[in-house]
Amino acid sequence: MGTLLISCTLNNIYPLLVHSRSSCFAVHKNVSSFFKVWVPLKVQRFSTRVGNSHEGDNKRPNTKQKEQSGKVPHALPKSVFAAGTARKKAEFLKQKWGNDFDKELKGPRKPKENNIPSQPLTAAQWKTLKDDARASHHFEVSMMEKMLAANSDIDVAKSLLAYVAMETGTVSYELLLRYLTLCVHGNHESEVFDVYDIMKKRFKTLETGAYSLFIKGFSRTEKWRECLLLLESIKRVITPSPRNYGYAINGALLHGDSRTAWVLYEEMVEKGLTPNQETWQAFFDSDRSAHDSESKLSSLLLYMRNNQIYPGEALVKSIKAWFESVPGNKWNGSWTTPENSGHCRNCCSSLESIQLTEDEYNQLKEKVMNDVIQGKDVFKKTTPQELESFKSFVKKRPPFDVVIDGLNVANTTSKGNQSETLLEVVSHLAQQNLRLLVLGRKHMLRGSRSWDRKNMSVIQQKADCFFTDNISEDDPFLLYATLHSGNHCKFLSRDLMRDHKACLPDSSTRRLFFKWQRGHQLVLSSYTAGRRIRFETVPKYDTIIQTEENSWHIPYDEDGVERYSYEVPRKWLCLEMKR
Amino acid sequence: MRMLNMHVVNVLRRQCIKQTPVLVQREGSWLMTHCLKSLLLPSSPPCRGLSTAQRLRKEASQPSTDKLDLDLWKSVMKSGGDSSEVTQAEESTEASPLGAMRELVEMWRQAGKLVPENMTEEELQTLEELPTKSSRKKYLKYLALKEGHKKARKKKQEKKKQERAEDAKGSGEDEEEEGSRMKNTFLLQFWQRSIDSLYNWRAAQAMQFGQSLVFDMSYDRYMTRREIENTVSQLLECEGWNRRALDPFHLHFCNLKVEAAYHKELIKRYSGAWDRLLVSVTDRPHQEVFPREKLVYLTADSPHVLKTFDHDKVYIVGAMVDKSIQTGLSLANAKRLNLATARLPLDEYLHWDSGAKNLTLDQVIRILLTIKDSGSWEKALRFVPSRKHEGFYEPQQSQHKHWGKSEARRDNSRTQGAFVRHQAFNPRMQKTLLKDSRSGETAGKSKGKKNWWEEED
Repeated sequence: MGTLLISCTLNNIYPLLVHSRSSCFAVHKNVSSFFKVWVPLKVQRFSTRVGNSHEGDNKRPNTKQKEQSGKVPHALPKSVFAAGTARKKAEFLKQKWGNDFDKELKGPRKPKENNIPSQPLTAAQWKTLKDDARASHHFEVSMMEKMLAANSDIDVAKSLLAYVAMETGTVSYELLLRYLTLCVHGNHESEVFDVYDIMKKRFKTLETGAYSLFIKGFSRTEKWRECLLLLESIKRVITPSPRNYGYAINGALLHGDSRTAWVLYEEMVEKGLTPNQETWQAFFDSDRSAHDSESKLSSLLLYMRNNQIYPGEALVKSIKAWFESVPGNKWNGSWTTPENSGHCRNCCSSLESIQLTEDEYNQLKEKVMNDVIQGKDVFKKTTPQELESFKSFVKKRPPFDVVIDGLNVANTTSKGNQSETLLEVVSHLAQQNLRLLVLGRKHMLRGSRSWDRKNMSVIQQKADCFFTDNISEDDPFLLYATLHSGNHCKFLSRDLMRDHKACLPDSSTRRLFFKWQRGHQLVLSSYTAGRRIRFETVPKYDTIIQTEENSWHIPYDEDGVERYSYEVPRKWLCLEMKR
Repeated sequence: MRMLNMHVVNVLRRQCIKQTPVLVQREGSWLMTHCLKSLLLPSSPPCRGLSTAQRLRKEASQPSTDKLDLDLWKSVMKSGGDSSEVTQAEESTEASPLGAMRELVEMWRQAGKLVPENMTEEELQTLEELPTKSSRKKYLKYLALKEGHKKARKKKQEKKKQERAEDAKGSGEDEEEEGSRMKNTFLLQFWQRSIDSLYNWRAAQAMQFGQSLVFDMSYDRYMTRREIENTVSQLLECEGWNRRALDPFHLHFCNLKVEAAYHKELIKRYSGAWDRLLVSVTDRPHQEVFPREKLVYLTADSPHVLKTFDHDKVYIVGAMVDKSIQTGLSLANAKRLNLATARLPLDEYLHWDSGAKNLTLDQVIRILLTIKDSGSWEKALRFVPSRKHEGFYEPQQSQHKHWGKSEARRDNSRTQGAFVRHQAFNPRMQKTLLKDSRSGETAGKSKGKKNWWEEED
């Protein structure tokens, strides 16, 4: 059985795995003589691939990809980490399984009856309307909310307030707040001022909702300085939201007071708030004519870089416009996507590598050991004895090239036997003369229908194996082995490791982990039993805002592409200085 | 029909006349009144026409008829402005941050948000210390709901009290009428006290001879204050269900540190009854109290399924409420002590629908009590909340799937006798017994067929 499979995979197309380490030519000590025969052949092929620079390896899969996309209407993007992959997959599955779920959701919902008057009503008319309404005690507020939803005329709302004021002699705070929302959304400046005067007179303090609305309402008017006072009154009880700051900054920028805007911005960042994209956009837009805060604006971009924030399309357009409007016509911006080799298609400069530096790598190694594997309680994921034995297991052996999540790989397809699937993948990788480690659980050795003993023994010949207890998690061991085999080692799993990422204590380590993961995770992209094994391409470059002396490269979120938190954008803005 | 119309017209007419002065004052709306009047009061004198014309001219001279009316509320609000609200607020003005917080909460309440009406200083302090806005909002919502429940309960009590008072009045009159009627002494009256003593007798018996069930109380450091409170109320319920059971467990609260949060809360909730409770409480860990090989830790994360209930084992339940599900916490504890673990056979018997597979403590003890008494998982797992599953697997299917069932059936027949013996005591049992006999039938039917596992043996 084993030999048959191997001949199959040998006929198989080129390995997509690229390795630049010399030690991978060493023959695995467990490899039987049968395999040794094939070694020279493989080495030859392997070396040419290494000699061919990176562009070479991507041509083939690209053409294949096209073939595939001809057949399947919903071809998935290449990497699980590319923006939009998860969304597309979800849609694909939804199509596949029918839209029952959606129907269920939409079914029972009735269209809401719309009884908002189109004209201002008199008190008497309001009264009859109220008497007809079902929940009359909540009538005014709900009517106001309906008007807000329908974006109806403000005069109608006024007439309602007039009716309420006559009926009860006062207007409740809640109703005033709803009316204020309507005014702010409809840009009725004078009304906002009037409501402000009234509310200030009637109520000693307001709550955060009203303050936020006033800040928004005032920021667009001459009275924008009032925003600062309002912001102060929010600060007395609660930290203002980034949106509050954003509107205040907007107000300052609109009226040419960029000094105040920057002071506010710094205050907000100091408080640990993440500014909104609109705020950044306002900075770039307002500075386009003056160009007097260049260094501050580049610090904004560096802030995004340090927090791995990707600008949206609107913001990135503003950034491009700003750069292009720099006096002297120095900058040239263009939309691009980098090649897999890590070169910008536009300016041909190479992007930052995805590999971690020595320091970063060691830091990550330590953090993963302490926070992911051991955590607060070693017993949660494993036992101390097991961990120790695994540590010595890894130490005794030379560093691995690929660590395989056995159970994950075995369950790649629903068709076919699990142990056969695993064996096929292991042999495919073993052909490339890589030192492999397969992680599994002890139940895989027990011998059953899906875990054939013969297959398992062949796997154990081709790769080192470690089987954890059935109640231990295998992912932490995967991470440990990969990290301790050195920076060249990759791991094979479809698992996105999100739960392990979440164990890391701070966001900077999490970002580091994510960067390492993108550069070191192999994912089976297509697998057909006995015929085809292919991996997703591992990017050579880091997807993050980056700059050199005379260029900026900014990855951004396209409109209409839903990017999940574990994905990175695919589109870039390349800005280069003209020479 | 005509009569009715006339009536309506009359009513309207009367109202119009009554309202006219008011409506005229409210300028702008007078037009409608006028229309109504001209419709309904055809016999109005001609001089009226003159006055309306005057008004119309006045109206026409103003650019927007609505403007005056629409901004009326502003003048009302401005004029009546300095009402009690401002003065009241000034009184409570304090420079302290708590005062500001109290004001904010009050304003939130006015804005129609879900916040409590009254807050104690302690609650405000807790609110102030919460780090994020969303956590504050959640806390306020919790307090508001609690307050709402409290109010509803009080209202209900009040209503009941009133009803009782009325009833007493009514029956008092009856008694006067037939005061000579004799009391019904045909059946011996059961007093709550005697039922209690029966329960206590059973619990005491269980403490001497019954099967032990351990609650592991070592989780207090993993829980928030509120979760501990929830756990303790669940424990109270557990103890209650156990006490009323036919054949109670001997409950052990192990790892209960004196003066720890758990202990304090338990004493608070039980007040005086804590010392009289028929429960073994110890600060020693369970592995010291019982031989290790007898212990089985029940945890949802265990790989082993509890197929049959073993009457000789001591089962351990982790006394923990984890609102944010903490996977593997109790399994880690079991691993550390190298104890056997098991989980309830939820997947094996139920079409699981949604929701986590963790159960509340009272659900667990009711399942355990039932499986102990009846040996039937179908009956025991009825205490899994029905929202979490879509019903049981078909009997045949589950039989094929689970060989453990044959043993369960045997258990069932064995405990039948016990049911009969006790039934006079507990009216609740009557119901279960009825159900029992029904399922007994199906059991008998299935016994007739030869099962595949029997062939294998």
